[in-house]
Amino acid sequence: MNVANPLTAQGAWVWVAAILTLAIFSFLYRENPLYRIAEHLYVGLANGYFITFYWHRVLMPTLFTPVAHNPSVVTKVWLICIAIIGAFYFTRFIPKISWLVRIPIAIVLGYSCGASIPRAVDAELIQQLRATILTRGHFAHWDTALWAIILLLGVIATISYFFFSAERKGVLKPVSYVGIIFIMVGFGASFGYTVMARISLFIGRLQFLLGDWLGIIK
Amino acid sequence: MTAQDGASRHNFWQKLQAIDRRWLYLVVWLVVMLPLIFPFRIRPKATPPVERLFQFIDTMPRDKALVLSIDYGPDTQAELQPMLVAFLRHAFAAGHRVGILACELTGLGLGENALRQVTAEFNVHAATRQDSVINGEDYAFWGWTTPYITIMLGMGERISKVFPVDYYGQKTESLPIMAHLKNYDDVGILVSIASSAIPQSWINLAQTQFGVRLGCGITAVSAADYYPYLNSGQFTGMLAGMKGAAEYEDLLLNRLKENGMDWGQRYRGTEAMSSQTAAHLAIMAFIIIGNIAFFASKRRKS
Repeated sequence: MNVANPLTAQGAWVWVAAILTLAIFSFLYRENPLYRIAEHLYVGLANGYFITFYWHRVLMPTLFTPVAHNPSVVTKVWLICIAIIGAFYFTRFIPKISWLVRIPIAIVLGYSCGASIPRAVDAELIQQLRATILTRGHFAHWDTALWAIILLLGVIATISYFFFSAERKGVLKPVSYVGIIFIMVGFGASFGYTVMARISLFIGRLQFLLGDWLGIIK
Repeated sequence: MTAQDGASRHNFWQKLQAIDRRWLYLVVWLVVMLPLIFPFRIRPKATPPVERLFQFIDTMPRDKALVLSIDYGPDTQAELQPMLVAFLRHAFAAGHRVGILACELTGLGLGENALRQVTAEFNVHAATRQDSVINGEDYAFWGWTTPYITIMLGMGERISKVFPVDYYGQKTESLPIMAHLKNYDDVGILVSIASSAIPQSWINLAQTQFGVRLGCGITAVSAADYYPYLNSGQFTGMLAGMKGAAEYEDLLLNRLKENGMDWGQRYRGTEAMSSQTAAHLAIMAFIIIGNIAFFASKRRKS
């Protein structure tokens, strides 16, 4: 066993991380003060990290430095106007003028929607529809043909399940029932992957505790 | 069977259903921990999405760069950090230029850790300049900026405009690597390693507008959401969760052995597979036992 040396710079931090990991895991037994200390420490650290980073990497280079040093007055005025509009987010804390928050939200929403919607239609609708079309290439091998047909049937059946404009009877009834089966298979796959993901995260922490901290894993 | 036998069996199933969850945590803890200490060999066979991505990077022309987007934080590093390390090892072993950026702020430290680890591995064994990996020449760590829309659209015009200075504070334009890495035209493939919906945005913004080729490494929990993009060819390949990382590591290890670069590096994804397998078997046992208990109690009641 080769335990991390707490007297070295790196080893000390490994010990801090290991103790905090165990403090968080102690919640599995029951709520306790150690867990709460670790939780509050995490929230405080995360906030401090984000604020510092936004100050140094966003506000300083894109706002304060250009306003102070850029020779162009027009640029300075633009930047100050944008900063004022951005600062309207904080009017949420002043009930009388809290309506001003809608201005920056509207600008961000407008920009994001304008940039995303036309491209999303192509990427998420047209390209996905195209992927369901059966082509001659799919029938070159029996397995690709089979999967392409299953995919097409799955898409049609699942969409029919979400078709609420007509009563579910006649042809629509069995087809939408098949749609439910596809949806359930999807849920099952998602659940399986979720289990895998959660176990992976736990493995990662144990790799740290047993490897980096205690040195049991080489 | 006497009435007493039936009642005691009924009690057993009821007790099983009401078991304190902390016993289950203890079982999972042991099931995960023991294979890490006493591992049994599991070699995951690479699935087609992993193999396609590996092959593409392996055979990518030398004048094209691999761009890695670190779109995750420490909460999912167990699954995603092995992928980042594997991609870096692969790219440097194949002699590709690499550009690294982060759309998630907390990914910066993880990117630096991975770079420090992998560059040290290569530079310790380097006999010549060509074998070594140098910041600014073989790779550039551009860092992080916000919002991600600006990154994805701006990189199509000029990367150095989006990241005027790199993570270490050097002027991006002054880095020798940037002479051959101006925008998406110089990118062979961009791989988004993500724990969020960022890969979808890479498709919507960067691929739709600029036609950049994409791959992704994602957490297992979001894998089911990304298969449609794989099927439609919008992603060249995909690594899903820790198992995806282990599959890639296996392909990489074979390639490194062929190139004489197997220096006994640690492969965290592969290392975790015995624990993962044992844990999955335990969860399956829990589900089966839980269902038997449920139906047995129900039958008894009826």
